[in-house]
Amino acid sequence: MPLLKIDGREIEVTGGTSVLQAALANDIEIPYYCYHPALEVVGSCRMCLVEVEGMPKLQVSCNTFVGDLPAERKVDSKYDMVVNTQNDLVIQERKNMLEFLLLNHPLDCPVCDQAGECYLQDYSFKYGNAHSRFEEEKRVRPNEYLGSQIVINHNRCILCSRCVRFTQEISGTSELYVEARGYDTKIAALEDKPLDNLLAGNVADICPVGALLSTDYIHKNRIWNLKKQPSICQDCSVGCNIDVFSQKDQVFRLTPRENQDVNGYFMCDIGRYGFHRFEEIERLTQPMVQKGETWEAIDWEEAIQKAADLMEKSNGKTAGVTSPYHTNETNFLLGQIFKDVWGSMPQILGEEITFPSGFRISADRSPNRKGMNDICEIIELDLDSEISSKAINGLYILDDGVDRELDDTWKKILEKMDFVIVQSYAMTDLAKLAHIVLPGLAPLEREGTMTNDRGRIQWLRPSLPVMGESKPDWKILSWIRKAMNKDEQDFTEINEVMKEMGEVFPAYKGLSFFRIGPHGLSLNGKASG
Amino acid sequence: MKSFKPILTEHIHQKDCHTLSFYKSVGGYRALEKVLKMNPENVIQEVKESDLRGRGGAGFSTGVKWGFIPKDTNKPTYLINNADESEPGTFKDRLLMDKAPHQMLEGMIISAYAIGCHKSFIYIRGEFYKEYKMLETAIAEAVGNNILGKNILGSNYDLDVVIHRGAGAYICGEETGLIESLEGKRGWPRTKPPFPAIEGYLQCPTIVNNVETLSCIPHIMNYGADWFKSIGSEKGPGPRLFCISGCVNNPGVYEEPMGVSLKELIFERAGGIRNGKQLKAVFPGGSSSAILTADEALDVKMDFEDLVAKKSMLGSAGVIVMDETVDMVQACLNIARFYAHESCGQCTPCREGTAWLVKMLTRLVNGGGKPQDIDMLFEITDNIGGLIDSSKGSFGKTICPFGEAVAWPVRSFVEKFKDEFLEYLPQETVVA
Repeated sequence: MPLLKIDGREIEVTGGTSVLQAALANDIEIPYYCYHPALEVVGSCRMCLVEVEGMPKLQVSCNTFVGDLPAERKVDSKYDMVVNTQNDLVIQERKNMLEFLLLNHPLDCPVCDQAGECYLQDYSFKYGNAHSRFEEEKRVRPNEYLGSQIVINHNRCILCSRCVRFTQEISGTSELYVEARGYDTKIAALEDKPLDNLLAGNVADICPVGALLSTDYIHKNRIWNLKKQPSICQDCSVGCNIDVFSQKDQVFRLTPRENQDVNGYFMCDIGRYGFHRFEEIERLTQPMVQKGETWEAIDWEEAIQKAADLMEKSNGKTAGVTSPYHTNETNFLLGQIFKDVWGSMPQILGEEITFPSGFRISADRSPNRKGMNDICEIIELDLDSEISSKAINGLYILDDGVDRELDDTWKKILEKMDFVIVQSYAMTDLAKLAHIVLPGLAPLEREGTMTNDRGRIQWLRPSLPVMGESKPDWKILSWIRKAMNKDEQDFTEINEVMKEMGEVFPAYKGLSFFRIGPHGLSLNGKASG
Repeated sequence: MKSFKPILTEHIHQKDCHTLSFYKSVGGYRALEKVLKMNPENVIQEVKESDLRGRGGAGFSTGVKWGFIPKDTNKPTYLINNADESEPGTFKDRLLMDKAPHQMLEGMIISAYAIGCHKSFIYIRGEFYKEYKMLETAIAEAVGNNILGKNILGSNYDLDVVIHRGAGAYICGEETGLIESLEGKRGWPRTKPPFPAIEGYLQCPTIVNNVETLSCIPHIMNYGADWFKSIGSEKGPGPRLFCISGCVNNPGVYEEPMGVSLKELIFERAGGIRNGKQLKAVFPGGSSSAILTADEALDVKMDFEDLVAKKSMLGSAGVIVMDETVDMVQACLNIARFYAHESCGQCTPCREGTAWLVKMLTRLVNGGGKPQDIDMLFEITDNIGGLIDSSKGSFGKTICPFGEAVAWPVRSFVEKFKDEFLEYLPQETVVA
């Protein structure tokens, strides 16, 4: 294994490791712009120049590999390479590069969305000059739309070409290219093929400055006002790892969070902008019973008792409807209550897409079908027949919360029922047909585990505060269970539900949020469902 | 100095010198016949021993470069003839293609054979339309006479040569920019490693050699490495085509041995300074080389070593002569403007720095100069291309040598003709 001496520290690296990678992995700061771990190395920004002892010139650390120094260049036989990242020569070079980068860069940080998470700002603060020596006119160009949701501010662009490489290497769509040359160089989108692929939003994330902007977030807030919550995306069964940025009860943006076992560094625009649909849907925050044409608000105690009474009267003829949109814990409790007949609402299928880089968007747009199937083992495909043969007269539905029209089969099923109880966070078409609605949490408020389509269990973490009288869905089901059988335990912590789930389903045994961690855990096929 | 019998340009004044029949009549393709019976390793060895150094500008040893081709590769290898002659003041390759295309082709075939290449490219400057047509004819002649194509001269060795025309970018003469362009991409030089000999065209081992370099090869194979080494300077020997332009009586291409004095080139070959004027400064190796003052120019040998000692370079051997009437500030701006226009825009210092130089020099020329501008010109050039004297700081700040190509000449203007720059400053700003 190549041995590196960097700033006096000895570091052993694996073969093929660049100086920059070695530095990043060991908390040694080398500034860079054009390098991105998912993209081909181009070495063009020149910010990551370091001194490699024995080499006549400074070297770009992104393209200098620790084991590659020729023997005749070695200064110390003990090391494969001796690198200095903090000496005067290197620091001066960073100043010089920043001066060049800032010549034409506008000083519009106060209105720039990147401010606060801008590498140009950060490195200027650290290495840059306090004043500009540039007395000439700046290069000024108008903003342009590269696609329907991405705007480029050319004046801020430092031409690192990350976005262009992204469309070539990750999305494989190649809408972006570098136009003209020298001082006139700029990023452009093909006239007949704008940047509108399903991964387009990522270019705004990987832009190291405020040049590429998502129209969805532009001038909406300041980054330092937002709370950043690591969580997972709930818009398909891949389960991309994300960060949710919110202020009070409003989400402002989602960005991908690195997870090499799931989504790499990226997420798709379906998930990225998906949170807006929760803003449009009519929210339920209070238990209610239907009285003729109107709804009457009731308190939780009464609601739970009414629901339990209805089910008791049905004499075991109530079926549970599980949901692949809900957590494992919620589905588990539902499964424990209704042991005989389970169904689920029709699956919503989109297009299955795999990009050349391997990035996937699953056709199944629900986040937890695998987990639901693991935990509710026999979900009837033909619920209608099952209902007839077993004389089912009531339904307890865990609502998907998806804004959809009911199909004829479901209309028919619902008509046959003596009662329907819907647990939902929104007044969906389904909820409107309920006798009792029990308000659960909206997707971004939920906590629990979900199992993606590759059998990886992940931690869904709450990003928004709970609204009104809404309660966690597992908690509602725990109350229901207790109301129906006084001997059952009423769970106070979701960990307790997880523990019991593990007792019943061995594949889920021994789990905790701590063990699952920020990057999830492969169930290794143990939970074959 | 004894007169030198040209080698590469010996026959250029004769009628139909570009034809295959003429070339054969003066011994053409004899070297190829000989080489096709040799072990390719021995061909590389012979070229290595000849100390032939590249004639494109960088002056790297040709044989050593060939030796970098991996021996155990299972990929095809490629030879690219760099005919994208774009360096201002350089027009020798054009002459060789025009007058001795078969000499170059023979060099290509031998070189391709040596490195195990079966498909070779000529990347020719787009503006060279006439030369492109002439090469097409020459290749057709060669193919028609079993000198190119399958089973060349009954040797079982196959080689195709494809001509690719450039689209007008200086940077595509840089070997990795050229390779990108040949692949149909934007001509942005690649960061190295890997070097082209390992991963070049289509990620396969590739050698890029200049037209003049390749034209030397048949002669080396005919007469041997020792003969070649006996010509001109000891380090970096051989004949060299010097392109003399600017304020001289007889501009043109002159073939001389390496190490000929610049004085002899200007005052004897090129007939001295026109209109009886005085010599002021010279670019010795194309516009990318640092200029020499008249005193320096009269005291330099035109070879790799002596010019480096004078903190300039032999480069493409494009000698641009400036006389006393030349305004050095305007000339400097002209050069800066060329490089700003040709910068590919990839690396930060070159893209931003070249334009800064032009803006600043333009302001200076237009009477808006400030005293601090002079020092700033030094700093900006140093920050683009680095110091010539690497002991005082770093050089090589860009992916390709373009940074140095603009920084060194511009800096040399300011350094050597500072008075003229100061004269451009508005009088009130000059502190006595």
